[in-house]
Amino acid sequence: MAPHLGHDEFFKSLTDLLSKTSQQVHGSVYLTQKALINVPGATTTNSQPSILIRATDGNTNAPNLKESKESRASKDKSQKIKLSTIVSPDDIEAFYVRYADVCKAGMSGLKKRDRRARKAKTKGGAAKVTKP
Amino acid sequence: MPYLPTSQAYLEQSAQLLQAYPDTTRIVTKYSFPTNRRGNLTRAHKSQVRKDAKAAASGGTTTTPASPSTATATLTLKTFNPTTGICLHYRTNKLQEVGRLITTLGKLAAGADVAGLGLSAPVPVSADVEMVDAPAQEATPVASKTQGQGQGQSAKGKKKGGKGKR
Repeated sequence: MAPHLGHDEFFKSLTDLLSKTSQQVHGSVYLTQKALINVPGATTTNSQPSILIRATDGNTNAPNLKESKESRASKDKSQKIKLSTIVSPDDIEAFYVRYADVCKAGMSGLKKRDRRARKAKTKGGAAKVTKP
Repeated sequence: MPYLPTSQAYLEQSAQLLQAYPDTTRIVTKYSFPTNRRGNLTRAHKSQVRKDAKAAASGGTTTTPASPSTATATLTLKTFNPTTGICLHYRTNKLQEVGRLITTLGKLAAGADVAGLGLSAPVPVSADVEMVDAPAQEATPVASKTQGQGQGQSAKGKKKGGKGKR
């Protein structure tokens, strides 16, 4: 298992992973969060646990196994991208602010707010709808 | 494994699940593009046909779909507790929801309870619906806890029955 990354490194790698997936218009990114309770090595202050954050592509960026036989032979577990970091209870708020920004920026494959259509429907309400 | 209709319902029930089992419950956020498997493609095609038929029946002028070729990614949130087998889902494809969802996941990670999420205020319309929902879900983990020794299967069945009622 790869060692846990620092927050900066984690966000950098996550940004890369998300943008790569969005550009390819293919694959998945799995983000997992879990509280570390009764785990040695995790700092626990005033009963608030540390949070383990994991990100992986679930090996979805590997070539399709059904399509090419050779790729199956060269299949290597190490192709799978795995990132993880630990957030201590004091950092949770700051971490999630950045986390939300990274996700918002990286998940460009999702539907954007369709301003054009709404403007056409309600001409007067367009000014209200458009937020910065 | 229900898909909850609103993000508010999902987040509130997740908060309760996390409170009941803080050490084993995990939240998975999946950002994924649809695959080109045949099943997926036929399903997408069928739903498109249905949509077109609906539009033709109601509006008359079939508006061309906004983005027919570009695949839209989906964001699936899943709160899973392996010991009880409870699994809550929420799915969206709107970018505008991402920021709010992740921020709320942060609150969940910090151990916020249902009230601490601060979700009830901005959505007053659906608030009364959620109030009906909440006590039922609250009762579920407790019930499974009391009769959970060595009969996880029956507890699971009970849960499914409870969800079917709603």
